[in-house]
Amino acid sequence: MKSGSIHPVSSLIREANRIFFDMGFSVADGPLLEDEWHNFDALNVPKDHPARDMQDTFFIKDEPGMVLRTHTSSVQIRYMESQVKKGIEPPYRVIVPGKVFRNEATDMTHEAEFFQIEGLAVGEDISLANLKGTLERFLKELFKGASVEVRFRPSFFPFTEPSVEVDMRLVGESAPPKLRDRWIEMMGAGMVHPSVLKNAGVDPEKYRGFAFGMGLDRLALLRWGIDDVRHMHSADLRFINQF
Amino acid sequence: MKISREWLQSYFEKPLPDAGVLADALTFHAFEIESVEGEVLDVKVTPNRGHDCLSYRGIAKELSAILNLPLVPHPYGITDVSLEPKTDALKVTIENPQLCPRFTAAYIKGIKVGPSPDWLRTALESIGQKSINNVVDATNYVMFNIGQPLHAFDAAKLTEKEGVRALDVRMAKNEEKMLGLDDKEYALASSMLVIADGNTGEAVSIAGIKGGKPTGIDEATTAVVLEAANWDGVTIRKTSQALRLRTDASDRFQQVISPELTVYGLRSAVELIVKLAGGEVVGFVDEYPQPQEMRTISVSLPKINAVLGTKLAQENVVDVFKRLDLSHVQQGEEFVVTVPFDRLDLVIPEDIVEEVGRIVGYDKIPATELTAFPNKPEVNANFYAAEHARAELTAKGYSEVYTSVFADKGERVVANKVDGVRPYLRSTLIDGLKDALEKNTRNKDLLQLYKVKLFEIGTVWKGGKEMILLGTADEGGVKETTLTIQEVTPLGYDDLPISKTERYRPFSRYPFIVRDIAMWVPTQTTPEDVLAVIRATAGELLTRSEKFDEFEKGEKTSLAFRLVFQSFEKTLTDAEANTVMEKVYAAVRAKGWEVR
Repeated sequence: MKSGSIHPVSSLIREANRIFFDMGFSVADGPLLEDEWHNFDALNVPKDHPARDMQDTFFIKDEPGMVLRTHTSSVQIRYMESQVKKGIEPPYRVIVPGKVFRNEATDMTHEAEFFQIEGLAVGEDISLANLKGTLERFLKELFKGASVEVRFRPSFFPFTEPSVEVDMRLVGESAPPKLRDRWIEMMGAGMVHPSVLKNAGVDPEKYRGFAFGMGLDRLALLRWGIDDVRHMHSADLRFINQF
Repeated sequence: MKISREWLQSYFEKPLPDAGVLADALTFHAFEIESVEGEVLDVKVTPNRGHDCLSYRGIAKELSAILNLPLVPHPYGITDVSLEPKTDALKVTIENPQLCPRFTAAYIKGIKVGPSPDWLRTALESIGQKSINNVVDATNYVMFNIGQPLHAFDAAKLTEKEGVRALDVRMAKNEEKMLGLDDKEYALASSMLVIADGNTGEAVSIAGIKGGKPTGIDEATTAVVLEAANWDGVTIRKTSQALRLRTDASDRFQQVISPELTVYGLRSAVELIVKLAGGEVVGFVDEYPQPQEMRTISVSLPKINAVLGTKLAQENVVDVFKRLDLSHVQQGEEFVVTVPFDRLDLVIPEDIVEEVGRIVGYDKIPATELTAFPNKPEVNANFYAAEHARAELTAKGYSEVYTSVFADKGERVVANKVDGVRPYLRSTLIDGLKDALEKNTRNKDLLQLYKVKLFEIGTVWKGGKEMILLGTADEGGVKETTLTIQEVTPLGYDDLPISKTERYRPFSRYPFIVRDIAMWVPTQTTPEDVLAVIRATAGELLTRSEKFDEFEKGEKTSLAFRLVFQSFEKTLTDAEANTVMEKVYAAVRAKGWEVR
């Protein structure tokens, strides 16, 4: 019998997990319907801060303070809180693959629900150079064979300081022609803001961390040359069975 | 914010490099560039730098640091920041200084309103602003130039009582009305700040957002009260949102700017107005009950290097401070940095680390792998169970789908869904899977599937709880169960296959047509031989072709094939499919095969 296909996003998550597992990262998860503390406040996005406008949020009727999470970063807080509660001190290393939401109209490149993968490493000696090294290794293994260059540009996120945008460039013969020699924006990242560590119960005087968050739908679009992000939730086997 | 290179040049003695170089400098050391059109850059100032960089002055400071190009002396364009002489002809009262930390104003008499000179009109037009008259243009120019929004009232239209005009900063009354300079009437609320004519109580400006029409400047204006104030960002933001009224002023105030900036704004606008429209300054007013405190931040060289993962030397850091004009003293290994009044974003040591990192350049950060993790990573029970289910079901021919969590019914409902459709959070996977099954079954031939089998691992909200369910859909029906989590979590994940697909191939969205063909062939002829002939003849409209039946009778074999036709450009007609089939029949017969 012909076997079925897994969803391309599931395949990417499986692959990412394999790469990160070897670097000491566990998978962490958390709820999609999240409270504002984990989604915003603990991540250093105070109420009435313009940064809350950066992400259009779905609120739930008759449940004040609850939102559909706008990023997987909420799980950074949940994971650290749970470790602290268990009395486990850093180092921590987790990835968080999962669904996130933005309240916006959908088109070929935007969906109201999509997938992200978050990464978090906390320890006494974590640096921005480690972020670069980790992402370089991840992208190299993901785009097997192709030579991968990673660069940072300055950016701003309330939950990281310094904050960077991460671009990738694939060079060499084995890179897919459409992606070859072209800088592509991959994700936002940075060093975890000391207030975020503090809010989760981790001593920012002693520990530092890096974090990144990457859109998996976009990664799938790039990786396979998919023409429309809406295929991801189409449940259409004309799409799925190609993977 | 739109930045014209020519205007920017006024901050530098040496000629600036071309717009492309400026764009790159900002991109890699400060801000994303949305576009470069000719000599105009559209700079996407990040929310943390809205305090100081929504202005030419801010962008000039950045470029000066990045390109190591000195700024002209007195880059605010003024040397005198005193607000003297004071005048008693204008009285300002602030009801709540929390919401209006500072209010400065100047009273200028004897001006002549007229068109702006060419340089001013060109400067404003280069960034998409309309020139109005010399007084209004002067206030706009100063706002874009240094970031302090201003407003000019026609002094004659403010009520004078015993030789004194009065401005009161107060909350609006509910349903209080004000006609704006844009000729729209605004209905205000008690959460909004207004500036009122203190002698009549009438609102004359929606504070920090829009001036009122009745006190606006016109050709007959001969005296102005020029306001440069500082407003609470949250109040401005909420008012702007509630009134659906975004202005260049509200964009700046909602980011919070320093109250120290008002003086620079007022003095440069006064000087510009007197230069362009004549007149003389009667005097100034400055209500500033609680001056901004200066702040210092301590950070050490080892800390900077530890966070960035670099080996910068002391002189590298000192050089960055010098370029950014961050004055500092050194105490052992610590740098004690005095934060300039407009850099409200610099608060913690990490903020200084970022300044060093981005000015030195992130390309100088090495890529260093993490040290080995001391513990073995944990296996996540939910993820393991999901992966296990995926392996089991795909082996049985099921394909994985994701359907939307939004539904027509459910226990919880989104309060603010932008498109309004399917606002509920699903309480079951069944409805989505049922739809998916029907949709895919219609494409069975195209998919070359005899049976459509689907599964989804997805979140639902049921019985007041969020949970992950496993749903399956096939000809036997649609079912869902909870995902089985193993009691003992294994030590590692199974080595499961990942997709080997290289490129995705777009599919046609037009309907397809199915045709079957059966024939007798000699026993030595294989189905592949026949398919090769069919495919070569049918051309690109043939999307799928496969054998679905085969049996032998004596010296002959009967072969039957299913052919699927589809166009990328249009809906195929039967006639078009028939034309192709006629060609196929002819080719088959030419081979001596007997079509049945």
